[in-house]
Amino acid sequence: MPSAVTIKVLIVDDQNSVRQMTRMTLEELGFRVIHEAENGVQAMETASVQPLDLIISDFNMPEMDGLGLLRAVRGHPAARKVPFILLTGRGDRELVVKAAQAGVNNYLVKPFTADILRGKIEQVIGKLT
Amino acid sequence: MASLDDLKKTFFDECDEAMQQIELGLTDIRSGQSTDETINAVFRGVHSVKGGAGIFGFEQLVGFAHVFETVLDGLRNGSLTATEENLDVLLTASDVLTDLVSMSRSGQAAPPGFGGECRAGLEQIIEQGGGGDDGDGPAPAEFDGLDFVPVCVDMDAPDDAPATQAAPAGSGLNRFTITFKPKPEMLKKANEPLYVLRELRKLGELELICETGLLPALSEMEVDYPYFWWKGTLETASPRAQVDEVFEFVVGDCDLEIVDVTPAALPTVSTDDAPLAAAAPVALVIAPPAAKPVAVAAPVAESADGGGGRTKPAATTTRIELERIDRVVNMVGELVISQAMLGQIVQDLPEATSGRLIQILEEVVHHTRELKDSVMSMRAQPVGSVFQRMPRLVRELATKTHKKVRLEMAGETTEVDRSIIERLGDPLTHIIRNSVDHGIETPAVRAAAGKNEEGVVRLSAEHRGGRIVIEIKDDGAGINSERVLKIAKEKGLVGPDVQLNEDEIGNLIMLPGFSTAETVSDISGRGVGMDVVRSNIQDLGGRISLKSVRGRGMTIQLALPLTLAVMDGMVIKVGQQTYVMPLSAIVECLRPQANEISNLIGTHGMLQLRGEFVPVVLLSNLLDINSAPSASGERVVIITDAGEGSRFGLVVDELLGHQQVVIKSIEESYGTVPGIAAATILGNGRVAFILDVEKLSDMAVNSPVGAATTMKAASPALN
Repeated sequence: MPSAVTIKVLIVDDQNSVRQMTRMTLEELGFRVIHEAENGVQAMETASVQPLDLIISDFNMPEMDGLGLLRAVRGHPAARKVPFILLTGRGDRELVVKAAQAGVNNYLVKPFTADILRGKIEQVIGKLT
Repeated sequence: MASLDDLKKTFFDECDEAMQQIELGLTDIRSGQSTDETINAVFRGVHSVKGGAGIFGFEQLVGFAHVFETVLDGLRNGSLTATEENLDVLLTASDVLTDLVSMSRSGQAAPPGFGGECRAGLEQIIEQGGGGDDGDGPAPAEFDGLDFVPVCVDMDAPDDAPATQAAPAGSGLNRFTITFKPKPEMLKKANEPLYVLRELRKLGELELICETGLLPALSEMEVDYPYFWWKGTLETASPRAQVDEVFEFVVGDCDLEIVDVTPAALPTVSTDDAPLAAAAPVALVIAPPAAKPVAVAAPVAESADGGGGRTKPAATTTRIELERIDRVVNMVGELVISQAMLGQIVQDLPEATSGRLIQILEEVVHHTRELKDSVMSMRAQPVGSVFQRMPRLVRELATKTHKKVRLEMAGETTEVDRSIIERLGDPLTHIIRNSVDHGIETPAVRAAAGKNEEGVVRLSAEHRGGRIVIEIKDDGAGINSERVLKIAKEKGLVGPDVQLNEDEIGNLIMLPGFSTAETVSDISGRGVGMDVVRSNIQDLGGRISLKSVRGRGMTIQLALPLTLAVMDGMVIKVGQQTYVMPLSAIVECLRPQANEISNLIGTHGMLQLRGEFVPVVLLSNLLDINSAPSASGERVVIITDAGEGSRFGLVVDELLGHQQVVIKSIEESYGTVPGIAAATILGNGRVAFILDVEKLSDMAVNSPVGAATTMKAASPALN
């Protein structure tokens, strides 16, 4: 069973407020190693130098969107196996289909509560301790 | 850790940025200057507002942003078209969204039905496109009916475990097991196994194990004998033939076995695997479908360039509370004062000891200046943040006055100190209101005058000579000088017989109590406009000037200092008093000969300067202080530029030198003192006043010309 304390998470969102909010929620769930990136390009830079256990990424971002990031992650030798959760809006049903084809592990519709986030994470990496 | 309130503040700051992006984008689309990225940027802006609003629970904001976003999405994917009418609705929607953001920020609930008309307009557009609304009920945790199964990853599994999973049937991937055992001949023919493996890897996902069992003891090792061999699997979209091709040149020189094990091709699929593959039709494989190694880096590079060619380096900005920067600014101010004091002491030392000190002090001066500039640049903000409110203003005014007006903006990125930005909004709003209300004519009048029906107001900013110059230019009717003069005379603002040129008449509109609007509209024309603007600008240490060409339009220029904290000044002495004059107001300093000054009747004295006459005034008279000429008896005339192109000379006793001074406001404690703008602390620790040159110019014009006030009478040395 994975322990939240040791799991290395990367939050990707262009909005600082949403990033901080997600960080707060993750901290509430016991996560302690949290990295942040503003867009896909930055996220890939982080993923290249940091070992990661989980990526939680928004879809709508400048430079490189969430789908682009997902594809880049899946093509990256070091990061290709990192579980990936995509944040979507409530109208983004088709996006989820595309993301599934690109190998996304789970999706999460914004806005979300801590419980929903926890559930979505546990569906991907197993029950948290 | 940040509190929820801090996060909300961050969110609203982001909203401001997003609103700017939306407004600019829509305006660009309307004027036909848009690219594909423009509509995406607008969409992202609205999307960000909506996303954040959802998280922070601003439901009204979410509801409106959602409809707005739906229309933008339609435009983006081509199901809707950006007609002029649609764009008008979108521009109004951006105004409504701005209002909703500011209501949410201040914690107000929007009045019932707020923005309802606009929302109906947006919904109508959506219906035109045949698009349905997804509704804006609470967000679902799952999309109904979507065949999605979360992919669980075993965190404790060894790294390569997922990749060894079989490709699901029907994924379109071929799977081969490969055994590759080079023979000695292969190396002798200079074929390198490594290159073969690299080629193979380009075809897809390659998992190889190197067998090292043949490796002998070091002493027995031969350089050209292949001790290694490989076996493993390849998952690829390429057909068998292409895999064979890789081994084309070495096939005779190695033991090679390639077996097609693609699930569909295998008659014996394990019964355990089948239901799993069927349950998760799309999302089981973590490895990319046929990702070629070159494609790995490509999306990164392409997307980075895709955003208009600019690649944003990672995390190079940080948000700092303004208060903290202000603290640094204050400390720099104190540093400037201490340094001036130090300079004063060093100067009084005997030369033998001061030589080296002076050298070091000069370096300190240099560094302080750089420090000041860097801190000031931190406080600097682009004027765009004020400009961005103007398009909406112009749009609303144009609608109200039934005129067609286009606003052009330039130089939005020009930076100026934040304190100035904050106080620039009102004057700019006033001026632009005037331009649209009084300046630009109605379409019919414009057409009759042979002008384009659409009037243009141009707002621009640029740095010029250590100041920021903001220009508001319209192509309207210009100032009706006869009428202005007539009103000014009626109101007793000027004498009945006064003779004025066009520019001077133009400046009359900035006098207190002047209003020309025939009917006082609710937009402008209460006569509290331009004089307030002028005093606002002057309070900022700026100048305002006005040029009008009848029938062609009017230009108003604001020249403002870049900062309000520290400035370059000339320290001067009059009698026993020391003053500082802003260096930016000084054109030149000179010691005139007595015969260069003439006394015309009714003036203070005129200095003949390169063939032109410039009025000169004694500063001691203006400030009402006793002034005895210095021992040498020589006085200095400082030619100043008080704005509006009018020059005049101020007679002072002595110039003490150029120095950076820290501006300390005295208004709070003493109110406004005519002729004095602020105070500063000099190197000797004494307080000196900073002169308000523009006000002095006014005082010079209005001060009585009597006996003993003229230059010659008061200055024996010049006689």
